[in-house]
Amino acid sequence: MRQSSLLTGVLRGYTLLLFVFVFAPIAFSVIFSFNSARFPTIPLESFTLHWYETIWADPDVWEALRNSVIVSLCTSVLATALGFATAYTDYRYNFRFKSAYLALVLLPPTIPLIIMALAMLAWFSKIGASGELWSIIIAHTVLAAPFAMAITRLRLNQMDKDLESAAWNLGASEWRAMREVIIPFCKPAIISAAFLTAAVSFDEFAIAWFVSGLNKTIPVLILEIVQGNIDPQVNAIGTFVFLVSITLVVAAQVFFSLRQSKGST
Amino acid sequence: MSTPPVSPLVTMEGVDKHFGKFVAVKGLNLTIDKGEFVAIMGTSGCGKTTTLRMLAGLEQPTAGTIRIAGKLMNDVRPHERDTPMVWQSLALFPFLNARENVEFGLKMRNQQAEVRRKKALEWLDRLGVSEFAERNVETLSGGQRQRVALARSLVTEPQLLLLDEPLSALDAHLVIRMQSVLTKLQRELGITFVYVTHSQSEAFAMADRVIIMSNGEIAQTGIPRDIYREPANRFVAEFVGRNNIISGDVAKAKGKKIEINSQIGIFKFNANRPAVPTVGKAVTFVIAADLVEVTRTKPKADNVVECTLISEEFIGSMVTLFLETADGTEFKVQLQERELAKLDHNSGGKFYLSWQAESAHLLPSEKSI
Amino acid sequence: MQIDHAQNNAPTARRMDLFALTWRMPIIVWQVLFFVGPLLFMVAMSFFLVKNYVMQETFVFDNWSKMFSRGYFRDSYFYTLFLATLSTISASLLAFPASFALAFKVSDSTRRWALFLLIIPFFTSYLVRIFSWYVILAESGVINGMLSTIGLGPYTMLNTKFGTVVGYMTLTLPLVVVLQTFSLANIDRNLVQAAHNLGCSPWRTVYTVIVPLAKTGLIVAALFCFILSFGDFVSPYYLGGSKPPTLPILIIDTTKSGQQWPRAAVIAVVMMATLITIAFAAITLAYRKRTSR
Repeated sequence: MRQSSLLTGVLRGYTLLLFVFVFAPIAFSVIFSFNSARFPTIPLESFTLHWYETIWADPDVWEALRNSVIVSLCTSVLATALGFATAYTDYRYNFRFKSAYLALVLLPPTIPLIIMALAMLAWFSKIGASGELWSIIIAHTVLAAPFAMAITRLRLNQMDKDLESAAWNLGASEWRAMREVIIPFCKPAIISAAFLTAAVSFDEFAIAWFVSGLNKTIPVLILEIVQGNIDPQVNAIGTFVFLVSITLVVAAQVFFSLRQSKGST
Repeated sequence: MSTPPVSPLVTMEGVDKHFGKFVAVKGLNLTIDKGEFVAIMGTSGCGKTTTLRMLAGLEQPTAGTIRIAGKLMNDVRPHERDTPMVWQSLALFPFLNARENVEFGLKMRNQQAEVRRKKALEWLDRLGVSEFAERNVETLSGGQRQRVALARSLVTEPQLLLLDEPLSALDAHLVIRMQSVLTKLQRELGITFVYVTHSQSEAFAMADRVIIMSNGEIAQTGIPRDIYREPANRFVAEFVGRNNIISGDVAKAKGKKIEINSQIGIFKFNANRPAVPTVGKAVTFVIAADLVEVTRTKPKADNVVECTLISEEFIGSMVTLFLETADGTEFKVQLQERELAKLDHNSGGKFYLSWQAESAHLLPSEKSI
Repeated sequence: MQIDHAQNNAPTARRMDLFALTWRMPIIVWQVLFFVGPLLFMVAMSFFLVKNYVMQETFVFDNWSKMFSRGYFRDSYFYTLFLATLSTISASLLAFPASFALAFKVSDSTRRWALFLLIIPFFTSYLVRIFSWYVILAESGVINGMLSTIGLGPYTMLNTKFGTVVGYMTLTLPLVVVLQTFSLANIDRNLVQAAHNLGCSPWRTVYTVIVPLAKTGLIVAALFCFILSFGDFVSPYYLGGSKPPTLPILIIDTTKSGQQWPRAAVIAVVMMATLITIAFAAITLAYRKRTSR
């Protein structure tokens, strides 16, 4: 008994260490962003907002932010809509080649981004669409739609299988049942998918870097700064990016685990 | 007859339904009258739910025709029908409150908000759940949810209500309560109920007519008493479950009075059918469990069997005894609990079962049993 | 026989209707145009020629023969394979005790919180986290700064395989722990208890009962780790110093500076072929029934 509780203690301690390892870079990035040292080390130098002031005053940062917001928003809307339609199809219908259909939808995240980046770059130049903001949006939608599909599909799994039939039975056409029953039922998942796909797009740098041309997004800007010298500006931008991503991902998870219900309890 | 002539509301003719290679329903012919309470009963997979879903338009018949109020329904889509259903799972919309659930059918018929609201509240009130109108349906009890589901189906005042095992999720005491709610409603509204269930007690307690299905076909249709006393075939006799079945060869036949040789002895029966079997033919008789007498001394009766007691089962004030002859043939006897006390059944020993020749029911001959 | 009513309802069987197509077709069109299209075009591009900085749509094997005759390509290939394998083994081993603890040694709510937290970094700027490691691991960075206060160091951690693996772990550990925890938590506790009751020691139980039962999940986790590491260019570039370059770095160099897209396509196709082979092998292994001995 004593040996087993010791083992449990060691395992828990180890797990805690693993979490420290995972979150240390995020924590340090935040700490460094307020530190005056150009090349931060321990012990820390004095507190400063200098790096934030620098990025605040940098028009490139604002431009990249504008691009990132546009790309994330559009990707989020497109990927969530496509993901929803696909999840509903998988839930409702059986048809030939369905496994091929699902593979077509779900494979993109398993393909290395650098390969997707090259393929997208070549394809967009071929069809004369490279270097545009919307080429990033298209590519990110391919990447993010599977996540939206998975989230919505899990929600549909929780739906009483008679619910849609009940709507038809009470006089709703298929379209009306979609609007009055399926979509309201999936609403938490749809919101969750919108947040998560926005996060996927907001963080993606490889494809964006290849196909963006002059329209840099925030991660591409970071990539280019990092390629130069050590610049603590990155920590300030990075802290901001963490804040946005974490908010989006946490919001996605909260909505995903939400049990939607109506009326007083 | 004083009853006015009734026209059929539902007619199904030669209806087949296949799912791939699986035949769920075959050659179904069925007529349901206006205002009738019909129960369709059978084991799971017998085609009863498929039949109901075809009436709702949720399945399309592979062959045959379905008419409701004279109109051919085969290609009418579910939402274009007026055949509301009460679901086994209830299928209440979790994102709507009780009142909005009830309003749903009216909303789909584009009725105005005030009208919808008024009607919904009326129906919730009629079913005794108006105080929960604004409540989240997931917080209601099983019985309350059941009533909301009923109100939702009835609010459009349909001619035909379909019920798919609606009480199967309720506690036993609530089932009895809801049975009386349903029969009362049906009588007051005068609309047709088609009620699918696997529960005999529900079907026999409520329905005007019971349809027993087996392997996609109708095994028997009739009023509850007839199905119980006079099963049409061995399947129904066994399905109804409170019957003793005796098979044998006809040894003597004199008018309606016949005598058979069976494994456990010679028995006398009255053939209650026009076609009296001839000597040498194999026949099967059914004796309902409540028509068999149990005594501890050998009685004087047409038929007597000597048995030992295996077990007893109590349901309310009724008790079913399971007995066995020396060669292992099983008998079931149903009696009142107070009668059981007189038998001194715990002391073991011999029991005598007896019944009159006219208590038995002759099954029509079947090719293979 | 059970009938799946949900997927056999009448309106579906009726006809191939507009409603069904509305939900089914968009993703097919989208993925064919923007997923299958680009990938197939990339395969085709590996046979194109570049003359005077202009790509010509030909069908020649020049790029393939050139790439395969270059020693640096072969070196890079095996080095990338080696790094991805090292990363997969490290992540699987490092993650396992934590996954084990999360699956068996903590309460349900702790597990939910842990998984909740681990999903966050997976979607959170990998690039910035690697830059943070760069500063932490540097010669005059945080770790050496701390070590010097007790008189140790400085140690070189950047531009080493160690640095690269730290980066890979940053990328893959959260995902591997999540997947491993799921597969371990799904094990029937009664089987574990039975092994204990039969006198199996805790250690023996882990590798004779738990690991075989969770095999599929453990292999899938390792496969994802391999794919992510194999295709990542950030860690080997910024923390590993790109010496020698891995295949993804080679793709970037070839595309960005050399304008030799067809040769980059050759590298990408070779990477895809490798990954498909490994994924196929892993999945076969993961779902293979244990042969009786």
